[in-house]
Amino acid sequence: MDFTLNDEHEALRDSARRFLDAEASIAPLLIPGATAETSDYVGLWKKVTELGWQGMIIPESYGGLGMDYVDLIMIVGEIGRTLAPLPFFGNLAGTLAVLAGGSEDQKSELLAEVAAGNSTLAFAIADEGGSYSSNGNDVLATQANGGYLLTGKRGFVVDCATANKVVVPAKLDGNLEFFIVDTAQSQVNSELVEWRDITRQVSAVAFDGAKAERLEGKNAATVWPFVRDRLYLVLAAESAAGTQAALDDAVAYAKERVAFGKPIGSFQAIKHQLAEITGQVGCAIVASQYAAWALSVNDDKAPMAAAMAQSYASEAYRDATYRNIQVFGAIGFTWEMKNHLYYKRARCNAELLGPPAQQREEVMRMLEQQAA
Amino acid sequence: MDFNFPAEDDPRRMELRAWFADNPAPTPQQLADRGLSTPNWPEPWGLAADTELMLIIDDEFARAGVSQPKKYNPIALNQCGQSLLTWGTQAQRDRFLPPALANKERWCMLFSEPSGGSDLGSLRTVARRDGDEYVINGRKIWNSAADKCQIGVLIARTNSAVPKHKGLSTFIIEMNTPGITVNPIVDMTGEENEYNEVLLEDVRVPVDARIGDEGSGWRITMEQLQTERQSMTQPGTVWGAGPTARELVDGLIQTGRIADPLIRDEAARLYIEGEILRLLSMRSLSNKINGKPSGIEGNAGKMVASPHGQKLSELAKRSQGVAGMVKNTDVLPLPNKNYGLFNNWDYTYWFSPATTLGVGTQEVLKNTIAERVLGLPRENDDTVGVPFKDIDISY
Repeated sequence: MDFTLNDEHEALRDSARRFLDAEASIAPLLIPGATAETSDYVGLWKKVTELGWQGMIIPESYGGLGMDYVDLIMIVGEIGRTLAPLPFFGNLAGTLAVLAGGSEDQKSELLAEVAAGNSTLAFAIADEGGSYSSNGNDVLATQANGGYLLTGKRGFVVDCATANKVVVPAKLDGNLEFFIVDTAQSQVNSELVEWRDITRQVSAVAFDGAKAERLEGKNAATVWPFVRDRLYLVLAAESAAGTQAALDDAVAYAKERVAFGKPIGSFQAIKHQLAEITGQVGCAIVASQYAAWALSVNDDKAPMAAAMAQSYASEAYRDATYRNIQVFGAIGFTWEMKNHLYYKRARCNAELLGPPAQQREEVMRMLEQQAA
Repeated sequence: MDFNFPAEDDPRRMELRAWFADNPAPTPQQLADRGLSTPNWPEPWGLAADTELMLIIDDEFARAGVSQPKKYNPIALNQCGQSLLTWGTQAQRDRFLPPALANKERWCMLFSEPSGGSDLGSLRTVARRDGDEYVINGRKIWNSAADKCQIGVLIARTNSAVPKHKGLSTFIIEMNTPGITVNPIVDMTGEENEYNEVLLEDVRVPVDARIGDEGSGWRITMEQLQTERQSMTQPGTVWGAGPTARELVDGLIQTGRIADPLIRDEAARLYIEGEILRLLSMRSLSNKINGKPSGIEGNAGKMVASPHGQKLSELAKRSQGVAGMVKNTDVLPLPNKNYGLFNNWDYTYWFSPATTLGVGTQEVLKNTIAERVLGLPRENDDTVGVPFKDIDISY
């Protein structure tokens, strides 16, 4: 029993912090007119793959580092804290989908390439309207020449633009199956949407008879719940660290900015708001760490812990980034300041996999099942 | 990192379970003799239990259905008794601790005053040295259970020539000392009183009723309040005790009221917050075990926990609609009856405004977090460095 991080966790976090402080920059995004393509998305990713972050949770038997989810969120937290623009999230989503849906041979082959830094994945699970419950309805798979062809559209695909391969659920003879598709073929058309959070690249993707390989793992119905719980964790950990960053930033400014002859941080109107956020930071961090532990040991409560963390942390992040802008005043509303990037990340994190109220509904259904 | 509790077959657990099997309804004296009144204290008072053993002990008390002595004598066994271990004399320990541990004497705090509770440093009760005695004069208020207690822990001014926080001393006194009058205060619940007013008129106590040195009262009191706040970072409705979000959700499911979408979402939100408060208190335990500084679990934990409790009883009450405005006890089913006065949601609800007032108001707590945790500039208090006697207290 030890409900805290150990020294190795902290060392991992600190090394990620040093790396990202030196290498990741959101400065190009603070020039008016910047888009998600303005940052050095691919360049940073190349450096990250040299560190092996893309293979952290890939088992050693498939060439990865075989670390657990507590380790993972040490890195994810630093990415969240710095808003490091890179395709970490999308690649992780694709990796988790292959882990959950692939056969042994497929996992060996596909994940080894990811771990080696030769291949980057994405996961096209949401439909065009952003629903995650369509069960593959809007992409149809047909058999052709011993393989499969996919036709249909998907929305809100994170990091599709930089992925070599994308995992896609589709209907095959009325059944849900998962496929993996090479993005280089002309039958795959991926286009960046104007996602408000320009530290992330998000695409709409159309498949027009795209060649695909079926993932041959056992039970397709379990793939999305497996991936979803882990992506909830990843967003929660990003959000928790971002909440802390937004608080630290606002506190530093409140100590320095003078009005009415004293630092604005001496006014209770500011103090009390920041004290509130301090409570939320602590709660968001412990909730995400608990979820990471629960997922790492396959605890029965892991799905609930993940949904709780995502629901809580995304709202805390929203509150903290909103407050951060208010503490800065009008200067915090300008494009040249980084405040809006955090605010937009917070808002987008809270919607990307469904809103906090959806996760609360999931928690409540689990509680009702327990009570029944 | 490991969020698992000590195993079911942990030998420390088995030993306690066997003891409770032999003593299914232990008296407070039996609990004290076994070291279970204050297990975290050193021997001979306690078991010098580390925080992991404390967790096991909490579990096993609950399993045995036995109330913990610290719940019915909290000031002695949680907040203030430890001050005697740290600052007291052996004679004070021998006189006051055994009856406290056996629940023969209950303790109360004599801190707040009518002129202010949040700014405790400005208190006006005076303890004047007179030979081998102090003579105490003043008024205390909001003293929980003072009418049922035999012992009081008092903070009073022993020197008004120095700034307000420096001239205070702590005393441990017998409540039946001549000159002490306790007047129960009927609070807004109209139920059995929680609070009292305590009048001190020429109360003579021996010099050795003082805990620690003259002038060390502020430091001792802050330790006591910090201990109190930490114990309040718990998911219960009232200062860490009372019904929890788990029980709220159970009740809403049992009564079918969970189907109301407006109740449902908020119930889920509160359930999540309650679970997080549990995690925070667990983390606080581990920080203690690991000798790390406590995180936000002290002050910030209480800042989250108090409104959390208010929201719980508010939702329980709201789920009942207009029927909840009639005095009643069955707002929602609540099978656990170990919460004393808070065994029903109705009383809990009408009591709940007090939870952001006691142990310092929510606003003072936020100032403390902003200044101590975040390092924001301190509020200007023009009276801080001024000798107390020069401060205008005519208001």
